[in-house]
Amino acid sequence: MGVSMTTIMDAILSAAVAQHGGEAAHAAVAASHGVTGPLWIGLIPLLPLLGVVLVTLLACFNEKSKMPAWISVGLLAVSFLLTLFAYLGWNGHDAIHLKLWDWIGLSWGDLRGQTLAAGFAFYFDGLSLLWMLFVTGLACLIGLYASEYMEHDAGLGYCRFFAAFNLFVFSMSCLVMGDNLLMLFLGWEGVGLCSYLLIGYFYKKKSAVDAGMKAFVVNRIGDLGLLMGMLLTFTTFGTLQYDALFNQIHTGLTAGGTPLSQTWQVWAIPLLLMGGAFGKSAQLFFYVWLPDAMEGPTPVSALIHAATMVTAGVYLVARMMPLYLADPAHIALTAVTWGGAITAFWSATIAVAQFDIKRIMGYSTISQLGYMFAGLGVLATTGGVFHVFTHAFFKATLFLSCGAVMHGFAGQLDMRKLSGLWSINGFRVVVIAMLIGCLNLSGFPFTGGYFSKDMIIAEAFVTPDSVIAGSSWAGWLLLLTAGMTAYYTFRVFFRVFVGPVVYEPGEDLHAHDDHEHADAHGHGHGHDDAHDHAAEHFHPHGPKWAINLVLTLLSVGCILSAGLYFLGDHHGWAGGMVHASSAVVDTHAVEGGEEALLFGQPPHEIMFYISAVFGFGGILLAAWFHGPKGIAGLLIGGRTTAAEVRMDPIAKALRPISTWAVRKWYVDEFYHLVLVTPLKIFAHLFHWFDKLIVDGLVNFFGATPRVSSDAIGESTQTGVLHDYALRMVAGIAVVLVVVVLVLF
Amino acid sequence: MTLADTDLHSYLPILILFFAAAGFAVANIVLTFLIGPRRDGARKSVSYESGMNPVGTARKRFNVRFYLIAMVFLVFDVEVVFLYPWATTFGNLDPQSSHAGLWLFRILFFLLTTVVAYLYGYRKGVFRFD
Amino acid sequence: MTDKLALVWPEIWLFVTTCVVMVVGLSPDLRVRKLCGWISALGLVVAIGAAVPVAHAGGLFPSITPYAKGMIGVVGLMLLPLLAGTVDRDLDAAIESGKATFSALRSNRAEFYAFFLFSLTGLMLTASADDLIWLFLALELTSLPTYIMVTISTRGTRSQEAGVKYFFLGALGAAIFLYGFALIYGATGTTDLAEIAAAFRAQSEAGGLNTIGVAGLAVALIGLCFKIAAVPMHMYAADVYQGAASGVSAMLAFVPKTAGFLAIIMLCGAVGWTHGATHDSLPAPIYILLWVIAAATMFTGNLLAIRQSSVKRILAYSSVAHSGYMLVGVIAGPGSGHGTFWDNGIAAVLFYLLTYGVTNVGTFAVLASIQKPNGEEADDIADIRGLHGTRPHLAGAMLLCVLSLLGMPPLLGFFGKVGLFTSAISAGEIPLVIVLGLNSAIAAFYYLRIARAAYLEPADEHVETRAGPIPQRVFAAVLSASAVVLLLTVAQMLMERSVTASGYHAPHAGMADTPHEALDLTRADD
Repeated sequence: MGVSMTTIMDAILSAAVAQHGGEAAHAAVAASHGVTGPLWIGLIPLLPLLGVVLVTLLACFNEKSKMPAWISVGLLAVSFLLTLFAYLGWNGHDAIHLKLWDWIGLSWGDLRGQTLAAGFAFYFDGLSLLWMLFVTGLACLIGLYASEYMEHDAGLGYCRFFAAFNLFVFSMSCLVMGDNLLMLFLGWEGVGLCSYLLIGYFYKKKSAVDAGMKAFVVNRIGDLGLLMGMLLTFTTFGTLQYDALFNQIHTGLTAGGTPLSQTWQVWAIPLLLMGGAFGKSAQLFFYVWLPDAMEGPTPVSALIHAATMVTAGVYLVARMMPLYLADPAHIALTAVTWGGAITAFWSATIAVAQFDIKRIMGYSTISQLGYMFAGLGVLATTGGVFHVFTHAFFKATLFLSCGAVMHGFAGQLDMRKLSGLWSINGFRVVVIAMLIGCLNLSGFPFTGGYFSKDMIIAEAFVTPDSVIAGSSWAGWLLLLTAGMTAYYTFRVFFRVFVGPVVYEPGEDLHAHDDHEHADAHGHGHGHDDAHDHAAEHFHPHGPKWAINLVLTLLSVGCILSAGLYFLGDHHGWAGGMVHASSAVVDTHAVEGGEEALLFGQPPHEIMFYISAVFGFGGILLAAWFHGPKGIAGLLIGGRTTAAEVRMDPIAKALRPISTWAVRKWYVDEFYHLVLVTPLKIFAHLFHWFDKLIVDGLVNFFGATPRVSSDAIGESTQTGVLHDYALRMVAGIAVVLVVVVLVLF
Repeated sequence: MTLADTDLHSYLPILILFFAAAGFAVANIVLTFLIGPRRDGARKSVSYESGMNPVGTARKRFNVRFYLIAMVFLVFDVEVVFLYPWATTFGNLDPQSSHAGLWLFRILFFLLTTVVAYLYGYRKGVFRFD
Repeated sequence: MTDKLALVWPEIWLFVTTCVVMVVGLSPDLRVRKLCGWISALGLVVAIGAAVPVAHAGGLFPSITPYAKGMIGVVGLMLLPLLAGTVDRDLDAAIESGKATFSALRSNRAEFYAFFLFSLTGLMLTASADDLIWLFLALELTSLPTYIMVTISTRGTRSQEAGVKYFFLGALGAAIFLYGFALIYGATGTTDLAEIAAAFRAQSEAGGLNTIGVAGLAVALIGLCFKIAAVPMHMYAADVYQGAASGVSAMLAFVPKTAGFLAIIMLCGAVGWTHGATHDSLPAPIYILLWVIAAATMFTGNLLAIRQSSVKRILAYSSVAHSGYMLVGVIAGPGSGHGTFWDNGIAAVLFYLLTYGVTNVGTFAVLASIQKPNGEEADDIADIRGLHGTRPHLAGAMLLCVLSLLGMPPLLGFFGKVGLFTSAISAGEIPLVIVLGLNSAIAAFYYLRIARAAYLEPADEHVETRAGPIPQRVFAAVLSASAVVLLLTVAQMLMERSVTASGYHAPHAGMADTPHEALDLTRADD
């Protein structure tokens, strides 16, 4: 007798957790080949989560020391070491599975596709291991860097920073290590949240808050694609678990038994997933949020908006490669290729015209992400993934170097106001790190960036146009972009890091990256006076041990990453990792043995020379236009001040194109006009509709009882005894009369 | 059942009781008239000698103790009403019945409640005229 | 006879306690007099203990007694700290300061506690009633002491006025349902409820219910509306609740209401839920009567509560509305009898009575714990404004209690209300469910107004309040509020108990001939 409380709660939530749902998922995992990993693998994401808890607790106790940083760095280091152990203990070909608990188990029938099961489970193959290695490793190093960089905010802000930082690593781990698309989605939204929180870290600065909002909103649009793609995947294949999904795709049939090539889902799902990936990785129409995201603290820009989170889109496409290959027309892959190539070129054109060094790095990140997508699109998954890896190192180095400059010059980022860091005391390590990063980015021969970029561009020429439409044209576009990349990279280096010593402090005179001060600046004349006064006594201060150590380690990592190209059997170490994952592409099978030639040579060989030429060309142009006099300008530079360079008259001559480039081709303004303004108009219309009609209805319903209450009133409540008695008797009479009337 | 069937003999005790009661009342009045002393006067001829004045306003206050005593009287009066049927039926109870103790206990419990009522009245000071 | 005695051991213990309290409360020693509350508590605990082993009684609801008596004992125990210090406070203070000497005639303590226990005794007797005369006597034993308690609860004239109103209107109500009982007796020739049920069943199978009997039932039910403060007998509620001390108002909201509902359930059980034309429901006249009364009660209670400025009056009208809600459960009936809590309207009512009783103590206890400068308890909504700032625990108790009364998940009141909803839905009473839902929404208006006053509005500067002198009342408030939350952990058990308690032994025509066999069958069934 009696239904339990649980049952009613279940009924209310209408989420009957069906037992056999979980079993089905378990069976699916058991059916796939793979090994069960040790339980400690679960600690890799859970340690950063523990970090969130501990740092939050510290915030509760109003901790003022650097304790949050040490806790975070320590836990992240352990996390990294565990990842390393997992990698070393991995057999090199089978995926490691580890299910912690049944997370979601919904079942509404016994047929296939009527059970939605997702474990809180991890899936370690080459792809996720590679990602996790650099995610945890870089997170640990950048955490160490941030311990010094954020020291002015010690206290609640410091705790807030590291809590979000740790939460980010947890989310990213879920995204990468997850065993199904739902885990990926959990991590995906988690990193989006952390990105939002950290971009808006200086929450008193309007531009930072706006940038956070922009990032969040733009990502939401992309996430819609991801969500729809996921739902379609489920309805088409009946599962979201990777192994089960890939097995299903491998059969060439949908869960219902229809041949895949005859369905529309076969191109729609990859395109929708691509939408999500492009949103997260700032490609094509979605790139606008990433440059603004540089408003966040520099460690955040380095870790989240350069090295790790923005590569989540690349990860998604690489992970879902079997799905992309399932379409015989390669529609989605073509879209990925061209989306990536165009973005790479487009953002390079903006980067060449910018003056804010951090923004230039932001645009170069977009551009390099474009390379990665183009690589995946032209079936060079190894190249794309390897580029993710090398890029993570050199872009983190570049950002952290820029951050060190910003830290030392009170937030100054304008290349027209900075010059000759090499000659300023305490910045040698920064300059060397910057140089190594720049060489990598510009694809200087025998650097990691050179090898990884070559693999992508060469594969673009290898892949026949019949497989990926216009593949070789995309290759030419990428080559041109490579030259531009070398140019804008060294434009920064030649102007800021070498040459005559000129500097002007930035706005954050008193405390760097400090929101309260950042907020105060620009208000009131009197304050400006104080600002100028302080500027006279400004002395740049070089970074201390933590930043220098991190920069050194990262530079070493950049150099060593080149060596990975020579490891292993499958086009380097990264190739081996990709080979042991779902991202592996049997190019021979896809391309049908047909291999295009470039200038009559195999593209992979000749590309070493061609890209070197483009790289050198870009560097030399940068040296001539922006380099200082003397050896530092490669003997062809002629710059003597910080602000004036040989490029200026050319830029003047190219007006209005050059102005447009500086203004980022007015894309933001265009979006504002085409998207934001109509939405705002609608918002106002709906607001009035809401206020007049909806609220009016609600108020009407609210007022009705009141009015009727007043109508009844307390006329019956006289307080006089015999009135009450009389009314009771009258009431009885009325009730009885009603009964009789209803009855007869 | 008709009147003829009725055993009128069973009503004889009632008739005797009626005559006894009437005779008692008549005898008292007659005896008083015969042997009582006579001292007539204005005070002597009012309706309630030594009692309230029957003429005048009825909305007169009088001591609340009258009511209290009346209520205590009622308690004991009603008690007797319950005791009679018990007493008459208790004699008819089968001496072997196991219910005998229970029956006794019940009436004792009932009497106890009247004792409590008495105690309450006593503690409340109902019987104190000061 | 003997099994009937076995049923009433809780009442006997309670009565013995009453006798002791009545005498002890008149002791000239203040310390001895102050034992009254503790002795009452002890008596209630013993009564609860005695209620646990009470076996299934006969009658239509053979299992209702242990549940009802346990519930009555528990809520009674919660009411005790709230009633502490209601009477004799001034007298005790005067004696302690040497300004006066003890006068038994002026002291009310003994009577107050004794009448409280008497009333609970009557309530428990109502639960075990299987006979109309028993039922009537029990109902009167429940009500008569409350008239006096209302009158002596404060020293002001308002409570005397309230007492007089309550007494006279109560007498009117009693007369009405007694008249109904007489008509039922006239129609069936018996006062035994099971036999009445069998007689009604026989009439129904022979071609239709006796009109006199149905009229008697209708009149009796209307008369009982006085006990539960339902339309059209709700008039007294606001005045009496406001006039009495908060503790007594809390008691009035639970004790007579429970008695009334137990009686209504028994009377409805006597005629049965199996007479309806289309589905299992009460015979048409009774069904329509209760339907009209339920709907009118809900609307009247809620709509009149909206415009009140006195919290006590709001709670009085909300008490009216709650009676309307519970009548929905009565109309829904016990369902198939083999069902669950969720389709058993009687179980829902029994569970609701418990949740309402437990929750209701808290709201009044908060009011009783706040004192105005003139020594009166808080009453106006202005008195509890800004309570969160001054006395956060009281504000928290008030918030939890009003939210539970409102039926906010996941508090206890929510589950009570869900039972009423689901049982009415499974009985097919959709229009009534809509009325119930609508009224729950209207009720949010004034409940949230109380919560808002306590939490969001600043204290009125010209309204002065201070903590009341009786710490036990704060305890009662906190106890009630925690019960609203903590009882959730055993809610499932309580619901199962209420389902067991609502076990309805549907009458059949043959019962009149062999009532005792029928009773034995009942035992065998369970």
